[in-house]
Amino acid sequence: MAQTLQPHPRPHLVSASAACCWIPHFALRCEAARRPEFAFQPCALLAPDTTRRLWQVAPLARHVGVKPGMTVSQAIGLCPALKLCESDPVHYDEQFARVLAALAGVSPVVEAPELGRAFVGMDGLHGVHGGPDEQVAALGRAVRAVWPPPAPPAPATPAGDSGLVESPLRLGWGHGKFVAWVAATRAQPGAAVIVPLGTERPFLAAQPLAVLPLDLDTHRRLRQLGVKTLGQLAALPEDAIVAQFGRTGRQLWRLAAGRAAEPVVGRPTPQPISAALSFFSPVAAREMLALALDQLVARALRDPRRSGWRVQVMRVRAELEHGASWLVDATLKDPTADRARLMAPLRTRLEQAPPAGAVERLAVEFTAFAPGTAELQLFARDANAAARAGRRRALRSAAQEIKLRLKRSLLYHVIEVQPWSRLPERRYALIDFEP
Amino acid sequence: MPQPATVARDDAGELQSVDGRPVETTGERWRVDDEWWRQPISRRYLEAILAGGARVVVFEDLITGAWFVQQP
Repeated sequence: MAQTLQPHPRPHLVSASAACCWIPHFALRCEAARRPEFAFQPCALLAPDTTRRLWQVAPLARHVGVKPGMTVSQAIGLCPALKLCESDPVHYDEQFARVLAALAGVSPVVEAPELGRAFVGMDGLHGVHGGPDEQVAALGRAVRAVWPPPAPPAPATPAGDSGLVESPLRLGWGHGKFVAWVAATRAQPGAAVIVPLGTERPFLAAQPLAVLPLDLDTHRRLRQLGVKTLGQLAALPEDAIVAQFGRTGRQLWRLAAGRAAEPVVGRPTPQPISAALSFFSPVAAREMLALALDQLVARALRDPRRSGWRVQVMRVRAELEHGASWLVDATLKDPTADRARLMAPLRTRLEQAPPAGAVERLAVEFTAFAPGTAELQLFARDANAAARAGRRRALRSAAQEIKLRLKRSLLYHVIEVQPWSRLPERRYALIDFEP
Repeated sequence: MPQPATVARDDAGELQSVDGRPVETTGERWRVDDEWWRQPISRRYLEAILAGGARVVVFEDLITGAWFVQQP
């Protein structure tokens, strides 16, 4: 008997019209938001994986030649006043999760390829927000409502401008993610560039090659061939580009010619996930309850709907003997999918305010989730990052106490500057330790 | 960072004390001449063990004649 083949269900959260929200140097700007002194000092963030190289560099430091990827010694050599800061990936992750949540309030289709850059699907929003101009305005308002967070009181700022204080959000609107991204890169800080439908090709033709996702070698070879803009690339025969650069070449050519319009693909926010347990006989022992909670958290975490999401808010409900109940709401500052970290606030609550009677039924419910990008997963789901964040909090608290007692911070961090130097005092430097 | 030091030497130029602390013995010696293209650096280094066992590195700035002590 012939069997009817069912087509693959098309994901609902797909949009061909795309808006790109881009906050360059997001991590550095997060630091600037909580450290007012960054506004008038040349500063740079150290890489999260190695503290010997720079990750993000503020404009004041870039002006004197300091670049991302440089070693600390090279950077200090170019800019002796450079202020170095260790990165705090969990904090940036938390801040970006707020931005993504705000964008999700404008459109349910949100895709975040990296920290500081998000695509928002705009199909079907004409009736809600209006045309592209109104749509990007709505996105701008949504982001600015939650980010950057209110800055601590700043000291009197000298005339210099770090470039970190102006509105950093750049918006682009177009057909497909690539056009939207290129439009965002062309936008002034705090402004938007809209590429109307049908004008993608002339818009792209004038753009430099650098907007393409090229590796250095391909970029060099294209330059040697005299190709400097997307228009020049698109003017070449597709077959010739494929012959030279293979599959990558085909993709580049199609992007340059405006023929590849990759849609924004969002992910549905999972519904609340719950796991419950009924006891054969009511349980009052805290150890037993903690064990049961641990099992329930583990069971809820294994729910396939939770995959790819971190838990932000959870609720524990207990039905007690004689009809009473016990309720715990826990909001995690750092959303996590780690069982132990989820259990920590529940254990504390169980110790400090246990149920008033024996428990007959216990339920754990995850009610809010934080989306994750690939970069966020790299940072926040990593147990080491979580451990580092915990240590950093303890250090910050200790450092603040020292500063309060002694009126100034006397803590410094030793970094290698020129370990090969024949002059001992040149080998290391002290930088202010501000965890 | 190098700190200015007061040293005493005998007739043969051997180090006798650093900042009033007698020198038990001296170890390695070396000379650094560098950065002649900007602010020239010319130093004669000396490793010394002081009474009590402390190990320090002292150097004579051959341009100014001043002595300094620093941690090795």
